Amino acid sequence: MTDTPQTRIFADYMDGESARLIRVSLRVEGKAATGALWLELPDGKTPVRWALGELRRVPDQAEANSIMLRRAGDDPARLKVSDHDMATYLASICPNISRRDKTPSLWRRLTILTSAAVASVALIVFVLVPVLADQLALILPTKGEQALGDATYQQIRQALGKDANTAAWECNNPAGIAALNKMMTRLQVGSNLPYNIRLHVLDHKMVNAFALPGGHIVLFRGLLKDAKNPEEVAGVIGHEMGHVESRDPTRLALRSAGSIGVLGLMFGDFAGGAAVLFLTEQLISAQYSQGAEARADVYSQNLLAATALPSAPMGDFFLRLKSKYGDTTGLASHMASHPDLKGRADKARAADTVGDTFVPVLNAREWRDLQAVCK
Amino acid sequence: MENHTLKTDYAGKRGALFKLAIKTSLLTVLTLGIYRFWMKTRLRRFYWSAIRPGGIPLEYTGTGVEKLMGFLIAVVFLSFYIGIVNLLLVFVSFSLINSNLAAYALSFVGLIPIYFYAQYRARRYVLARTRWRTMRFGIEAAAWPYAWRAMLHWLATILTLGLLLPRQIFWLEKFRIDRTWFGDQKFTQEGRWTQLLPIAIHMYIGIGLTIAATAGLWISPASASLFLLSVPWLFFGFVHFQIQSFRFLARQKRLGANIRFVAEPRTWRVIRIYIFGGLLIWLSVLAVLVGLGLIVGLVVSRVGPEVFSSQNLQGMFADGTASKPLVVAASIIAYFAFFIFSGVLVQIFITMPKLAHYARTLRVLNTAELALIRQRPRDEMSSAEGFAEALDIGAAI
Ligand SMILES: [Zn+2]
Repeated sequence: MTDTPQTRIFADYMDGESARLIRVSLRVEGKAATGALWLELPDGKTPVRWALGELRRVPDQAEANSIMLRRAGDDPARLKVSDHDMATYLASICPNISRRDKTPSLWRRLTILTSAAVASVALIVFVLVPVLADQLALILPTKGEQALGDATYQQIRQALGKDANTAAWECNNPAGIAALNKMMTRLQVGSNLPYNIRLHVLDHKMVNAFALPGGHIVLFRGLLKDAKNPEEVAGVIGHEMGHVESRDPTRLALRSAGSIGVLGLMFGDFAGGAAVLFLTEQLISAQYSQGAEARADVYSQNLLAATALPSAPMGDFFLRLKSKYGDTTGLASHMASHPDLKGRADKARAADTVGDTFVPVLNAREWRDLQAVCK
Repeated sequence: MENHTLKTDYAGKRGALFKLAIKTSLLTVLTLGIYRFWMKTRLRRFYWSAIRPGGIPLEYTGTGVEKLMGFLIAVVFLSFYIGIVNLLLVFVSFSLINSNLAAYALSFVGLIPIYFYAQYRARRYVLARTRWRTMRFGIEAAAWPYAWRAMLHWLATILTLGLLLPRQIFWLEKFRIDRTWFGDQKFTQEGRWTQLLPIAIHMYIGIGLTIAATAGLWISPASASLFLLSVPWLFFGFVHFQIQSFRFLARQKRLGANIRFVAEPRTWRVIRIYIFGGLLIWLSVLAVLVGLGLIVGLVVSRVGPEVFSSQNLQGMFADGTASKPLVVAASIIAYFAFFIFSGVLVQIFITMPKLAHYARTLRVLNTAELALIRQRPRDEMSSAEGFAEALDIGAAI
């Protein structure tokens, strides 16, 4: 009738309703799914019946010799069997001893929650923060915008340096700077910005230029090298002034300020540095909308016309970028980062009101000086 | 009638823990960190079950799924808070003082209440998932009241250069304990904070010497040598205070009307665990490195060193036999392997011996009333300890 080892085996029973510890003797009846473990209570109370099929072992227990048993489901009652032979025996006759409880519709809930979490974070990072940033960018006082630009410019120089302790070299060959200033003086006449443009050339081979909040415009050595004449450079500067005027970089910097914290949160502490790199990448590659690019192009064309310079060279420059790097480039070049360079080039040529007769923005010697500003 | 005093024993074995820790750590790496919720859960189950007051183990009933879901919920809330608040702070800071220093400072300060909030929530979750003799523990929902009290106490402690630390420790412990339950019985923290002052004496001497040494620097650089005395003293004083205040506060705790506790962890024992544990960890890491070196040496001597000559290696890079991503992947794996291995060693050589010492020196007195304690309802807590998880508020287990 019973398969239990001959001597009476005792165990500690806790009923889940009180902290009482009840010494029970065990009796096994039958085997496998149909069998039962009877817990004989002291004082002749009605014994407790646990079906063998519903017995589970509490996992990851530190003590190897005993076994802690529970019933499937939420029943908090426990039975601690310390007798090693009995523990082994029970483990061998209970068919589902290691099975885990099924949480109802677990995978469905997990999937829903994960998607909801991803969607909310995406909503925050891609909608809420940008919309708020765009509004704030418009009302940020000029002084604050300049300070924001100063801070980000230092960060970018730092990030473009050869190692963590060296900032990227700011090219300062006096003759080249003089040429740059001459070009800037002419362009500034046509602009209506609330602050002076601060133009920097960084010693970096990337063919790129970008604007930062508060009137910083950064040219890379690579861009000066690739340009064929000073009017092409003037066109690029005009384009960046257009971004400054419509506060595109300010929007971007504020957006990043919001997103960085979220990124840091999701990828842990080590992302602190990575987040700053991300910000830098964002500002350098400056992926503005098609509309913002078109507006900056138009601004540049108007500026060039107002200062009696042709805008066709800018179009030539776009086309050269296209043939050299393609529409999608790995160079993270802001000028080349938009598709349809051809269309933009055509528009630049069409907008040209000056033609071939104009006073060059720099003479031949000044142009050579400018290209050598990093030497 | 039960025994009137229950001793606690500790049943964990290093080998079993090592197996569990290694297995779960590897799974964590293979799942890109997602398994860590289950890893923590399983390690907790192990540690809890090793602590056995009166021979009956504690049981941890939390689940990995709960932790993962709590983490997701917390990430959404915190993304909102951090994204919007950081943006506004940067804006206000640049608008008003033309610098982002204020924004950095404020966004840090803004996280402090959330830090304490998360800490309390984590405690609530862990207690709600801890059972002994099938009775649930629990703590009342009071995370925000706790957070602002904790901030004020910390402020007072910092402003008094640590002098009020005993007061902070006592009142925060009292706040938590007076809201903690076992089954249908409540805990009470008795005593007065001034009773902790004698324990803090070494800490105060350490603080005093360090201040003297710092002040002395204005007069003569030679007083820097005083740091050699003051810093170890401060360190010892602080550890001593932590351990002995735990001991004192345990004696002043009461469960229900009569049940009391005695905890007797010893300062030097704990310091010894850290020193020897640290030593063993470094030796193990060293042994593994030497072992790896021997294997590499053996391989090189077998296939001949010319295979590993620099030209050959350069060639491998150049023709893509060993592509750069491969090398990067290998170094990332090595990096993680190192952290996992040392993490497992910390569990085995420090966390476990420390827990064992605390467990073995714990006794429960006047246990006759235990049999009368009834069950308390389950505390659902769907966000689990997600906030602590998301903010990486570290607990060893
Ligand atoms: Zn642009």
